[in-house]
Amino acid sequence: MDQLKLAARNGRDKTIIQVKHVRVGEGFVVIAGPCSVESEEQILATALKVKEAGADMLRGGAFKPRTSPYAFQGLGLQGLKLLEKAGRITGLPVVTEVVDPRDVSWVCEFADVLQIGTRNMQNFALLKEVGKTDKPVLLKRGMYSSLREWLYSIEYILNAGNPNVILCERGIRTFETYTRNTLDISAVPAMKELTHLPIIIDPSHATGRASMVGSMSLAAVSAGADGLLVEVHYRPPQALSDKDQQLDPQQFSRMMHKLRRLVHFHQQFSEEKQSQGET
Amino acid sequence: MNLEDIRRHLLTIDYRLIKLLDERMELLLKLSRLDADAAKQILPNGLQEARQYAQGLVEADFYRRLYKEILGESKKLLNRNLKLVAFQGEHGAYSEVAARVWDAALVPIPCTEFTEIFEEVEAGIFDYGIVPVENNTGGQVNQVNQLVLGTSLHVVGAVELHIHHCLLVPRGGDYRELHSVYSHTQALEQCRQFLARNRLQPIPYYDTAGAARMIAETTPPSSAAIASKLAAELYNLEIIKENIEDFPHNITRFLIFAREPLQERGTKCSIVFSTEHKAGTLFRVLEVFARRGINLTRIESMPNLRGSFAFFLDFEGDQQDAPVKQALQEVQKLTTDFRMLGCYNEKRAE
Repeated sequence: MDQLKLAARNGRDKTIIQVKHVRVGEGFVVIAGPCSVESEEQILATALKVKEAGADMLRGGAFKPRTSPYAFQGLGLQGLKLLEKAGRITGLPVVTEVVDPRDVSWVCEFADVLQIGTRNMQNFALLKEVGKTDKPVLLKRGMYSSLREWLYSIEYILNAGNPNVILCERGIRTFETYTRNTLDISAVPAMKELTHLPIIIDPSHATGRASMVGSMSLAAVSAGADGLLVEVHYRPPQALSDKDQQLDPQQFSRMMHKLRRLVHFHQQFSEEKQSQGET
Repeated sequence: MNLEDIRRHLLTIDYRLIKLLDERMELLLKLSRLDADAAKQILPNGLQEARQYAQGLVEADFYRRLYKEILGESKKLLNRNLKLVAFQGEHGAYSEVAARVWDAALVPIPCTEFTEIFEEVEAGIFDYGIVPVENNTGGQVNQVNQLVLGTSLHVVGAVELHIHHCLLVPRGGDYRELHSVYSHTQALEQCRQFLARNRLQPIPYYDTAGAARMIAETTPPSSAAIASKLAAELYNLEIIKENIEDFPHNITRFLIFAREPLQERGTKCSIVFSTEHKAGTLFRVLEVFARRGINLTRIESMPNLRGSFAFFLDFEGDQQDAPVKQALQEVQKLTTDFRMLGCYNEKRAE
């Protein structure tokens, strides 16, 4: 992997990515929100709930890359406006997916972080386009992609001039069918060895089941991930997309409570290790 | 023409009907100020003349009924004793936004030129005129200040308006297809980075609201306008994005003029004067205010028609306050062509 001039760790310091007041790569950052922006009420209510529970950023899709062309495709521009409004009201930076190179400059007008979804990890035209912007990019791992392929996709963005890439492991396709995907938790330490960029976990798409999101989130903390991207909907049964994997605000709040304690434990642990190392 | 085209065309016609009726009412209000009897006479006469046009599908009888309705509404409007405020530009101009901030009960009437505003307020056609005098990024509106020098009108109010530009397209327009953006050069200038980021071509137009109106009425392909949120509402346009100005602090100050000075107390005064062409004369004027601790908020010079300079000075206080009174007496002795433009209250709008 000698051609990874910019993405490879190569003794570089860990990259910390500033998104408004949030620093990704420092502490544990939780990005939460609905799969899709569906209405003003839905996004505002959800945004307020996730903020209350301690989320650091808000997610919400306006352009949905759906398997079926007949499935809800997202609200588009209207969704971007609502997401921006929810972000403004709650003070949470907003993350949203961009699927079309023609939309990149417009999504930048409304969002703080551009998400590249799993299906577009190797959409090189799109990678180059987001690489030209000044917004941090959240690059999901392709569901069929090796770490090596992922690293080269990162290289595309960095090479186009954008140094701020947040990685997101969201599960890969295996022969297992019980879960939507198989969460490759080992990608966290692996990518930490291979790159200098922060990496977070998406337990919602990894499992496709709300019941498993909590335990995978705790696993993410223990594996050393820099944060989570988790789907929360104020009324999951009514969600227009991915309703089985979205947490309701109560579940999210309980999960955050446990998560905080585990994060705290790990912080103490690493501080102990540090002070032992010094003596 | 497909179904969608026809539907859109119908909506455009309905929109025009409404806008034309509005325009008709405005003209009638103006006419009633010029000549109240003429305004009343035009009502029945208009019916006679207009009936001749009813030769298409619309039957004369329907037209007569419709016209009666319009006349009835016009009469009601004339009897309401509405106060009119003139502004320059098309409906939806930032001057109209400012007029609504100052007093939402007034009827804003568009004028083409600044001179028209001053002349027609002086003539009694309008009760008030509102004009922009300065912008914190664009500077003075010289044309207006020249007119202020020559007017006998009084300043009775001021508005400081935060200018927020919006990118507007016809309903259902696709931002992905946008290529050209029409607006007043100053607005285009203030959104230059936004336009560059999104690879949009700026095209100068005579007025921001005029550009919005043009976009709504002629829907040129791949085109948008930059104008106020009010313009979006008035012309039923879709807002692609609000607050597209590159720098957040974009403030325009407007003055409201009337034939009579404000009767109540004010918090701010505006004066204009000239000084002799001698060293230190302006300094001595400013000193008068400084000595009494009166806060100056604006000082501006402007060449006058006699080849010397006129100075505009705004300061805080009411003209009846003792320090202000004394200062003004003293300033009058030090200056030539002194005139109190007015003592008034200023409103601010975000």
